[in-house]
Formats: sequence, C-alpha cells, structure tokens
Amino acid sequence: MSAPSSGRVLHGHPSALPGVETTATVLGWLTTVDHKRIGILYGVTGFAFFLLGGLEALLIRLQLAVPHNTVVSAHAFNALFTMHGTTMIFLAIMPFNAAFFNYMVPLLIGARDVAFPRLNALSYWIFLAGGLLLNASLLAGTPPDVGWFGYANLTSKHYAPGPGVDFWILSLQILGVSSVIAAINFIVTILNMRAPGMTMMRMPVFVWMTLVVQFLIALAFPPITVGLIFLMFDRFFGTHFYDVAAGADLHLWQHLFWIFGHPEVYILVLPAFGIVSEVLPTFARKPLFGAPVVIYSGVLIGFFGFGVWSHHMFAAGMGPVADSAFSIATMLISIPTGVKIFNWLATLWGGTIRTTAAFHFAVGLVGLFTIGGLSGIMHASPPVDLQQTDSYFVVAHLHYVLIGGSLFGLFAGAYYWWPKITGRLLGERLGRLQFWVLFAGFNLAFFPQHYLGALGMPRRIYTYPADAGWTAGNFASTIGAFGIGVSVFLFMVNAWRSLRRGAPAPADPWDGRTLEWRTSSPPPAHDFDTIPPVYGRDSYWREKYGPRRGPAAGATPPSSGAAAGIHAAVHLPAPSHWPIVVALGMVLAAVGALTHVSIVLLGVLLTVWGIFRFALEHHRTTAHTDQTGVLGLDHRKMAMWVFLGSECFFFGTLVATYLAYKGRSVVGPEPHQILNIPITTLSTFDLLMSSLLMVLALAAVQRGDHRQARLWLFGTALFGLVFLGFQAYEFTEFVHRGFTLQQNLFGSTFFVLTGLHGTHVAIGVLWLLSLWVLALRGRLGVADAVKVEIAGLYWHFVDVVWIAIFTLVYLIP
Amino acid sequence: MRAARRPGFHGALAVTLLLGGCAWDAPMSTVVPRSDFARDILYVYGIVTWVAVGIALVVGGALAWVIVRFRDRPGAPRLPAQTRGHTLLEISWTIAPALVLLVIAIPTIQVIFRTQAAPPREALEITVRGHQWWWEFRYPTFEVVTANELHVPAGRPVALTLQGPDVIHSFWVPQLGGKRDVVPGRLNRLTFTADTPGEYRGQCAEFCGVSHAHMGMRVIVDAPDAFARWVAAQKAESAELAGLAAEGKAIFAASACVGCHTIRGVSSGALGPDLSTFGSRHTLAAGLLPTTVENVTAWLKNPPALKPGAKMPALGLTDDQARAVATYLIGLK
Amino acid sequence: MRDEHRDGEHPTVGTYVRVALVLSVVTALEVGVIYVRQLAPIIVPLLLAMSAAKFALVALFFMHLRYDSRVLTLLFAGPLVLASGLAVALTTLTGAFLVFGR
Repeated sequence: MSAPSSGRVLHGHPSALPGVETTATVLGWLTTVDHKRIGILYGVTGFAFFLLGGLEALLIRLQLAVPHNTVVSAHAFNALFTMHGTTMIFLAIMPFNAAFFNYMVPLLIGARDVAFPRLNALSYWIFLAGGLLLNASLLAGTPPDVGWFGYANLTSKHYAPGPGVDFWILSLQILGVSSVIAAINFIVTILNMRAPGMTMMRMPVFVWMTLVVQFLIALAFPPITVGLIFLMFDRFFGTHFYDVAAGADLHLWQHLFWIFGHPEVYILVLPAFGIVSEVLPTFARKPLFGAPVVIYSGVLIGFFGFGVWSHHMFAAGMGPVADSAFSIATMLISIPTGVKIFNWLATLWGGTIRTTAAFHFAVGLVGLFTIGGLSGIMHASPPVDLQQTDSYFVVAHLHYVLIGGSLFGLFAGAYYWWPKITGRLLGERLGRLQFWVLFAGFNLAFFPQHYLGALGMPRRIYTYPADAGWTAGNFASTIGAFGIGVSVFLFMVNAWRSLRRGAPAPADPWDGRTLEWRTSSPPPAHDFDTIPPVYGRDSYWREKYGPRRGPAAGATPPSSGAAAGIHAAVHLPAPSHWPIVVALGMVLAAVGALTHVSIVLLGVLLTVWGIFRFALEHHRTTAHTDQTGVLGLDHRKMAMWVFLGSECFFFGTLVATYLAYKGRSVVGPEPHQILNIPITTLSTFDLLMSSLLMVLALAAVQRGDHRQARLWLFGTALFGLVFLGFQAYEFTEFVHRGFTLQQNLFGSTFFVLTGLHGTHVAIGVLWLLSLWVLALRGRLGVADAVKVEIAGLYWHFVDVVWIAIFTLVYLIP
Repeated sequence: MRAARRPGFHGALAVTLLLGGCAWDAPMSTVVPRSDFARDILYVYGIVTWVAVGIALVVGGALAWVIVRFRDRPGAPRLPAQTRGHTLLEISWTIAPALVLLVIAIPTIQVIFRTQAAPPREALEITVRGHQWWWEFRYPTFEVVTANELHVPAGRPVALTLQGPDVIHSFWVPQLGGKRDVVPGRLNRLTFTADTPGEYRGQCAEFCGVSHAHMGMRVIVDAPDAFARWVAAQKAESAELAGLAAEGKAIFAASACVGCHTIRGVSSGALGPDLSTFGSRHTLAAGLLPTTVENVTAWLKNPPALKPGAKMPALGLTDDQARAVATYLIGLK
Repeated sequence: MRDEHRDGEHPTVGTYVRVALVLSVVTALEVGVIYVRQLAPIIVPLLLAMSAAKFALVALFFMHLRYDSRVLTLLFAGPLVLASGLAVALTTLTGAFLVFGR
C-alpha cells in the first residue's frame, strides 16, 4: 500500500494507517527519519565495519601464530592493531548499541519516535561519514599506526609525519559529534516522551542503561574532543600542547584520553547489561531480581566511572598517592558491577528457564564478563598491574569484557529482538550452535592470552622470538580467533535464511514482559496504534498475568482502543534530506583539512547552509509549535540544557589545561607581561550587558512586542560583535608584539581557549542575527518564543564561560 | 626491609599452579621473582589470583547449577513465583565484595608505598634513557656509558632514573619487577635489589613506533666482585689490535659510523649506542640477535632489513669490510 | 508554553536590570581588588567567590533556572559539579595546583 511521502497528520482508524513508513527506495532510506529505519541503518553499517575489524584481527592473529612470521610487515601490523581497535570500538560496538537504542527505546517507553527525528538521522549520516573517512586512510595507503589510544608524542608531526594520524583525529572528531548529538536526543526522549503512567522507576532496565550511557557520552566526549583539538593544532598549526621542549607534560594527553576512555568502556558495556536484564527475566519467566538496585548500580557506575581513569596510567609514574587513590576508586566501582551479576543469578533462581538462543548468549555474558571483571580487579592493584599492563594479560582482560561482555550481550539482543524488527524468527538450533562455536572460539582465542601476559609477552609487537615460551599460546589463540570468524559466518547464514524463508514471527514470540511485544512484528510506521497503558514495571506482563496497578496518579488515563484511539491524529515526522547534506559538508571539511584549505571552506559553507535549511525546514509547521513533554518541559529547552552540561566539560577541560600549563612556558612572554586588563574589563562588561539585552529580547518575543524584539535581538548581536571586535584587537596587538599561537605554551593554551570561546560567541552572533532577520520578515511570533529562549540560554552560557575565563586567565595572578 | 619469604612463596605457588606449571620459567615470566620488587609484587599477585579464581569458580558453578536446576521441564511451574527482590540478601552481597576487596586493597597500598619509597643512600644510581629503539645506560658514579645490556650488582639496591629523549617507552624486566614508563620531560624512578646473579631479559612495554617489538634488553646481575670487574673493564684501555680487527677499526674510523657512535678513544658520536665494550654484550641491536661475527656482519650490511625502521642506515659496506668491522667490534670487550 | 514556574512569578524587567547592575559592580570590584596589596594573600579565593557569584546570578536569573523546573537545574548542575571536580583533579595530577601560589 502506498505511504505518505512527507510528514503529514494521519487521520483515520489506526488499523487503516499505512505500514512501512515510506517507499522502500534508496531515496526513502536516504531521507528517512524513522527511528526504526535508522536503527536498521546503524545495525547493518556497524556489521559491515565489524567484519572489516574482524578481518584486521584475523590478519593480526595470523602474523602472531608463529614466531618470526612474515604474513605482514611491522608497518602493516602496527596499522592493523590501530585500525582494529578503533574500528571495533567506534564503528562496530557503538553503532550496534545505537541500533538497539534507536529501534527499541521508543517502543519500550511507549513513544512513537525520538524527540528529534531529523537530528537522529543526522547522527547516523555523520557516523557513516566518520567511519568512511577513517577507512579512506586504508585506501590512501596511509592508515594510522599509533595504536587506538595514540599516545603523545608518538603522534606528533615529528614522529608520525604522514597523514595517517590526521585521518584518525578527524574521523574521531566527526564520530564524536555524531555520538553527542544522539546522546542529547535520547536523553530528552527518555525523560520527556514516556507514555502516561511510565514513571522513571517503571522504565525497563535497558532504557535506564541507555539513559546512563547517553549522559556518559555527552560528558565524556568533550575531554577527548579537546585532547584531539590540541593534537590537531600541534600537527597543523605548530602549537605546543604535547611538545616537551616547550614545557608540555605528556601525561596531559593520557589524562584527557582516559577521562574519556574509561567512561567509554561503560558506554560500550552498559547497553549489553541492559539487554541481559531484559532477556534473562523473559526466559526465566520471573522479574529481574532487585530491579531498582540494578538501576541504581548502573547510575553509580556511570557517575563513578568518571573517577577511575588513571588506572590506565599506573605505570606512567604518577606517584604513590595518585596510584593509591585511583586503585581504591577502581576497586569500589567493581562493587556495583559485581552486584549485577548476583542480581542476574537470583533472577534465574526459582524461575522456569527456556534455554533459547538469546538466553544462551545472555548467560554467556554473565559467565564471561565475570572472568573479565575479575581480571579487571587484578589490574586494579597497581603492583600487580605493573606486571600485567601493556602485556597480553590486559589484552585478554579487555576482550573478555568487550567480547564476553558487549558482543555476547549484543548477540543476545539480536536473537531476542530479531523477530520484532524483521517479523521473522532466527533459527534456534543454528543460533545455539553459533553460540557454542563463539563460546569455544572466543575462550580458545583469549584465555591463553592471560598466560601469555603472565609469561611476559608485551602487547603491540608484530613478532616475537621462538625461545620466549610464547609460541603455543599464540598458536592456540590464532585457532580460536578463526573459530570466532566461523561463528560470525554462522550468524550471517542464520540471518540470511531467516530473511529469505524464516518462520513469520508473532507480535509476542517470547511471552515478553515489556511494551515492544504489544505491537506487531515488525511494528507499523507509527509504532503503536494506540499508546499502550502502563501498569507498572514489566507492564505488558502485568497486563497479561496481573497484578495490574493503575498509572501513576495525576497522569492521563490510558487510552483504550475503542475510545480515544480511533480518531486520534498521529503525526509522523516527515523525511528530510538536510541531515545528509550537513553530514556531507562535515566530511568535505575534513577532507579539505587533509588536502586543501579551499575544500575546508567549501565544506564549512555546505555545513552551515545545511544547518540553516535544516533549522528552518519546519519553522511554519504547526505540529511542531508545541513540543512539551511528560515533564512539562519543551524538548528543545531540555536539549539545550543537556548540551550546556556537555559544554561544561568542554570548557572545563580547556580551562584545566590552561591552569595545568600555567607557568610552564620555557620562553616568554608571561601572562602579566602581555594581558591588558583594562581593555578586557571593558569587553567583559560589554558581554555582561549583552546578556541583559538578550533577556529583554526574549521578554519582548514572549509578549508579542515585535518592535522591541527586533531592537533587543539586534542589540544583543551588536554587543556580541563588539566583544569580538575587542578580541580581534587584542589578538592583533599580541601578534604584533610577537606573542603568537606558536610562541610558547602560554600562547598555545591562551589562544586556543579564548579562540574557541570567541568561536562560540561568533556562532551565537550568527544565530541571533538569523533570528533578527526572521523577526524583520515578521516570521518570529509568540509561538516561536522557545527558539529565542534556547538561543538565549546558549548566549548566557557563553557569557558565563567568559566570566570564568576573565577571572582565571586575566585576573588571577 | 625485606618482604617475608612466606607470602612470596604462596604467591608464586598460586600463580604457577594456575599456569599449569608449564614454562613458568620462561625468560620474561612475571611469576619468577628475582628481586625484592618482584617478590613484593608476586605477594599481592598471589592474593588477587586466589580471590579471582575463587570468585570465578563460585559464580560459574552457581550459574551452571541454577540453569540446570530451574530449566523448563515437565512439572516445572508455568508461572514461577514472581519474586522481586530481597533487601537483606542484596545488602549482604554488596557488603561481602567490599570486604573481599579490603583483603586486596590493604596489601596493595602497603606494597605501593614500599616499592615507590625513595631509594636508600647506598643505592647505585643508574640513568636509563629510552631511544627509538635501543636502551642507553649511564652510571654517573663510575662515568660509564653502555647500551642495551645493564649490569647491576646482586644484593645492592639499584635506583634507576628513567629519561626519554624521544617518545614514551617503558622499562620492563619482569623477573626483576614491574614496569615503569620512560616519559620525555619527566623523570620516573624504579628501585630494586636483585638477589640472584644471572641474565634476565627485558623489553620495552609501551608502543613506541615501528620496531617497538625489537626494543629488548638484557640485565646481567653480577656477584659484587664480578660487578667490580665489569666496571673496571668498561674503563680499561683497549688492547692493541692486529689483523682483521685492526682493519675493521680503520674502516670504522673512516666511515660515517663515527658520527653516531662513541668508542672510547676512537669516536664520540651521540646518536646511537655506545660501542666501547660492544663485544662484551651477549646480544646486538637491543636483544635482536646473539652477538656472533655472522650476525654482526649481517647487521652492518643492512640494519633496516633486520630491524624495520632502524635509524642506522645501510652504509654500503662490502662483505669483507663488514666482516672486518664486525671482528673489530666483537673484540671490544 | 507550559514551563513549570516554581514560585509562580516571572522576573520583571526591573529584576533583570538590577541583576545586570550587580554584575557590573562585582566585575568592577573584581578588577579593583587585584590592585589592593593588602588583599594579596586571599586574592585567589576572593576572586573565585566573586566570579562564582556572577556565574550564579546569570544562571539563576538570566537563564531562568530560579523560576524553572528543578529538572533543568539538575541537568546543568550535575555536569557542572562533575566538570569542576575533574578540572581540579586534572590540575592537581599535573602538579599544577601550586599554580595559585606562584
């Protein structure tokens, strides 16, 4: 049946509403904003990169199968493990997680899509761009070869002169943007779009884990963004962030990387924990034991995950106090993680267990992650870690938690949700066989690596001598790796057979507990004919087997099919091609950075144009005027606050670096010799006053005073331009006096910090002028006040950051 | 203050049992302690291993049992009791791991501070400089400079100061203790007292570029009198040369070699390893190959072919020239 | 617009202007105190306190947090506190905390 090709309000009986969202053409997929399609895109794309990363792994294992092997050269090997790590983490596991976030979260909370469907599509296309850019380095013959955590100063222009590291930096930055945008989207969705009656504590654990992960992403990516900016500036513009001769501290890169890197491992594994927390109860026919505790422990892990990062640096020489502090913090964080294992065990105890394929993988996670977690506890003790780190012991540990944990969890999710997504069942027998091949292959590949580490084999070596006693372990490990490959192949066979002629799946094949099983397999474009009633946690189970409790007091009663549903208007988001345009612009800019500055300009222009058209696409769509959610808050306002939280980390990292490097410059000038406090006081005053003008502008828009709105909007932008003028004057003065970006460490930190702030101001000015132009054309009414409000929040935040910079950089001696 | 023998023994027993007793005496084994530092580590290593194995067996066993006991079979309840939780149980299994961690944490902190304490006054000061891809060792007290093979006296504390002129490396000799990074711009310290004379293998443990895999080293622990003899030999005048060795010396002195290498009394280059007593070393090119005339000749003819990315270029020596220089170098004891 | 207003009031233009005035005065004071030699020993905590006060005024009034749902305050304050903690940790770990004493 034909489907509407643009977003329209659909009227009519739900059963008459069309099924699959838009036409199944290429254009349909390129412009989709449907969370289900985007989920499938993430899953398929992630799988392609997963195969690539797997191939890289097999080449690594072939090379290491015997001593002094010559399958690949040293150069190639170093590129292989760099690409393998980067690919598996950013282009495989994270997209697989995203696939499930996208497809399942709206269904699990009884929503029809995410808060910002076009932004959702944008995240996918930016991810694809980043992934293609990274692998373009292979095509160019210059892949990065510095390890997936690229320690400075091996990554400097001097020691890594080719473009490989540049490809790596730019791809990671692009991928970071994709992830943070998606994080903001899902936080607003989960907080603000839950069905009536679904309180936070009634949400499925998978949704809770998703929520924690999104906060981790939003807050952990800014530090590495900053670290990569520093590296990029060192390589492209001659700054000194990682230049030892100029007084830099090489630990800075490690700190910035791992402040991101440690939360990242929870980003990778918490979704798998969430999946297992859905799968085990379903197949044990019992609720998750201690669900609130599992939820709280997930939140605790997320929070404390920010406090353990230097356990990756026990050999770096931080001193006994720092070592001890991080050791204790790391041990503490293992408690909420371990408690989950017990909760899962207790869930199974007393149940009636159906050992489906999905169940096999979930149990696999419980067992294998326990092993990985225990080797992690061993690493948490610095003395022991001094033997184990940078050896194959840690390689064993990380693969037990990432494959044994994340991958097994993802396979569990795949077998569990495949019927819902495709409308067909995966073969159970083949699934169980696949599990056992994976289990055997994986353990054969990685258990011996604990021994290899204990026998002193360092990591990241392309070959080893025959008399080190490492030969047998390596050979066994290689066989196991190929076993993993076979298992992946079996999955592909299973998937293919299922799609071609698999048994059709009913809506609820597993006698499930949560809301996604309440709609058809696959769901219609609009997910639910009517928003489902919520009776508590495991709401659908209660609906089937009781006890039913009414929705939370004060919430609107659940709509029943007969009453409210039939004539309810369902607004489906319209497809849009602007996400792909913006993503194209970004990758073009990145390519320009690797080739010619004119292409950078082209890319930036395309991106900006795309953003403008994206932003104005639905300026007049009445259905978009009111975006108030469950918490009584506008989606866009909530999103802006989450973004500002993320920006706290961005500027916090920049300021911390400035302070860390203060006084370490080897040559002058020093701050007190060059900073002009009187002039900067004026510009500070100017920015403060601009915030006053901004609130006046918002007040004017809110009461429909068009004249004053135009006046104050322009005024704010003008004051912003004055601030930029002051900054331009200051920068040119400094350069004339010989104080440049490259002059010394102070130059690097000062110009990058204030320059990035200035860039934020400039973007704000652009934003305000755009609103002013809309107002001039009479297209900024009371209904658009929220748009002005969020611009105002951004503007005030930029002001507030300047307050901090003015004090910490200019005033404090 | 020496760590008690008993804990070290239990530690070694724990880990070696788990290694199945096979190849536990591998040259880079982390469970064969030959210094106080290594012994202290193994003590904690044993504790964490026992704890980890214990927990793994309990959890694994419980998992297997639960699945078998409660699987769906004829007679099993269609709808089992929907237990939501049990507060006391959950509190207990939160506190229990915390207590177990205490067992790990206390010795951990003790050993951290003991092994990172300032070295005693009588410690032998050695400066270690990690280069791409070789090790430089300097003895300030004796004014001795050598490369890739470190000699230390048994029974006397050794205080290493780690410096890095290029990128981050990591000094790791497993049987003598844990690793410590060499970080350019920082001075890291590693202190240990080796107890048993012998030859120990080490390797760089932080990825440092193309030939990271080939940045090995040997540590020779000498009995005190042997160490004194070694120090004297480092400073002794070189013997008179004849024949092929003399030829080799002439070629060396006239080639680009002198720009990178120091040989006492012959050249003073500072870019590559000091070769003054090259012949006394058991391996060449940072543990790459045993020191034999054939290996040295092959190295001299084309270093990057043996060690990818090596900064020493092929110098265009003929076979005979290379052999002559090799003979000369091996004679430098 | 259905924002929750906690105490039901909405700031007037007068309130905004007063806040702007206070911000200007505190800024002037901040610049002033760095020239007062007697305050040198406590200059750092003093400046930090004053800039924190300005930060709070802008957040509470201009950014409307005082009148908005607590959820928004949480969404911002959580990351702010965490980021500040990390910044302090980072400066301490890189041995630069003494920077204020120089």
